[in-house]
Amino acid sequence: MSAKNPNKIRRTREDWAVDTVVYIIMAVVFLACLYPFYYSLVISFNEGIDASRGGIFFWPRKFTLENYQAVFKDQNLLKAYGVTIARTLIGTVSSVLFTALFSYALAHKNLMGRRFYSMLLIISMYFGGGLIPYFILIKKIQLMNTFWVYIIPSLLSAFNAIIMMNFFRELPAELEESAKIDGANDVMIFFRIIFPISKPVLATIALFNGVGHWNAWFDSAYYVTDKSLKTVAFRLMELVNQANLTSVSGADAMSQRAGTMAAQTFTAETIRMATMIVVVVPIILVYPFLQKYFVKGIMIGSVKG
Amino acid sequence: MAAKVNRAPGGSANSGSANSGAWKRFKSQFTLQVFAWMGVAFLIIFCFIPMFGIIIAFKDYKLTQGILGFFTSDWVGLKWFSEFYHDLVFWPTIRNTISMSLLKLVFTFPVPIIFALAVNEVRISPIKRTVQTISYLPHFISWVVVSGMLFSFLNEQNGLLNQALLGMGVIDKPISFLSGPQYFLPIVVISDIWKEMGWWAIIFLAAITSVDLSMYEAAKVDGAGRLKQIWHITLPSIKGTIVIVLIMSIGNLFGGGISGSNFDQAYMLGNVANNSVSEILQTYTLKMGLSQGRFSYATAISLMQSIISLILVSTSNWISNKLTGTGLF
Repeated sequence: MSAKNPNKIRRTREDWAVDTVVYIIMAVVFLACLYPFYYSLVISFNEGIDASRGGIFFWPRKFTLENYQAVFKDQNLLKAYGVTIARTLIGTVSSVLFTALFSYALAHKNLMGRRFYSMLLIISMYFGGGLIPYFILIKKIQLMNTFWVYIIPSLLSAFNAIIMMNFFRELPAELEESAKIDGANDVMIFFRIIFPISKPVLATIALFNGVGHWNAWFDSAYYVTDKSLKTVAFRLMELVNQANLTSVSGADAMSQRAGTMAAQTFTAETIRMATMIVVVVPIILVYPFLQKYFVKGIMIGSVKG
Repeated sequence: MAAKVNRAPGGSANSGSANSGAWKRFKSQFTLQVFAWMGVAFLIIFCFIPMFGIIIAFKDYKLTQGILGFFTSDWVGLKWFSEFYHDLVFWPTIRNTISMSLLKLVFTFPVPIIFALAVNEVRISPIKRTVQTISYLPHFISWVVVSGMLFSFLNEQNGLLNQALLGMGVIDKPISFLSGPQYFLPIVVISDIWKEMGWWAIIFLAAITSVDLSMYEAAKVDGAGRLKQIWHITLPSIKGTIVIVLIMSIGNLFGGGISGSNFDQAYMLGNVANNSVSEILQTYTLKMGLSQGRFSYATAISLMQSIISLILVSTSNWISNKLTGTGLF
């Protein structure tokens, strides 16, 4: 950064000390953030019974694809994967669109009732009914046990609405006025003019939204009982919970499971790791896109939120 | 649409009486009003109806009474609050909620600032960028996955940490990190730092990069070393950001500070063995409400949490306004 410092005369002892500490911190953070992912990957490619003996750190000891084969043979999990993909796509598109239309309307200074609408939005950001009244609502409006419980309750996000409103407000008013003179209506203006030039912001919000949908497990656990509607995040949650139970009971469920069928070498742990990788990989794939934009996003949020 | 009639949309078309002007204006923005009303309808249904539902904390509500039952069910006053207060789990749950929240605030909050300062001192651009990029990857991974990793790292049979400690001869038999109550809070705090440090450092780094560089030049001329520059220029310059993030954290103290992770952590990492320290108000609300169907009782517990945290935010905001002149409201 400041490499072209003109009065760079000599490095003092303090410089050395600061640099040493700083680079140690960088190395520690780098390893601490990457290694857990790498370790999960290694275990997911190792034979289960072998892995339960420990001693694997950097490379699979007995390489196998069996864990992944087992994961992809599990019909429940595949189904859950499908549900998750569907909810992520439909949920993200509908939420971004719904929130954008609302924000677009509220971005007009002359919109009648704008102060009232904004007030409702702000209140909704700071106050809520909490878990129980919300649950009763979901139950009573018949969203329970439907696919739509993943989509409809997250249509509008106050936080994203505020980010979008700020963006729309910055757009030059002439764009809209000249289109109106040409006879375009508000819907046309939104989709033909506003939407295309807002792509960066909308894409950022969509990516965040998508990650949220992908990771969400609570709604699947408590608002859905139908097994074929469960999401993959929920399935993984079940596997992790099993591991939690095992850790308490001390029973070696890992090897028990393996013992049931002589041909199998995978264990609960290696299956869990493989499932985890399968869940995490899509997020890692969109990560480069995510991080391209989000610094801006988090800044707007922090100022307003 | 009406746009052709009213070429300057919503402009000061003050012709005629005020009433017909308002109507004209409304007509000219009819589509926009529809967009706005869709959002308002959503807010009313998914936010304001549940908000009214809070009154069941003071009522004897049964699920069969439906949404209208929020209003028609019988009043019981503070019965549920009193029942929870006299329950044996009351003080442990309150204590766990507060200690988990405070520990996370004290330890998780400063780390992103320190990390941001450290990143800012890195002079080799590729290292700076790489480490920063990697550091916020964990933010995008759910607590479910993080817990899955923790179980592999910390378990008694083949956990990495136990293997490492055994290998170095620090311990002679594996420690049960996951079921020992004394390990729960350290695990919660450290994993929260791991997951959120890089993400929150972004805000502080952005604040640091907007500091006027000439101030550093002036300090160098005066003979200030790098530590002095950090202490006397960088930190004071980002004070405002620090205060805002701090108030946000306190605002969501019981939710788990800036990352809001209390529930997920207590839910995923809590178990029968460490229940004495891992049961917090949120998980207890869930148990009483959704698992046992005691809706009014659970709502009372959850309301109690909201009231305590509202008091905390207002107080911290007031103190912050007094001391630094910055506050959220």
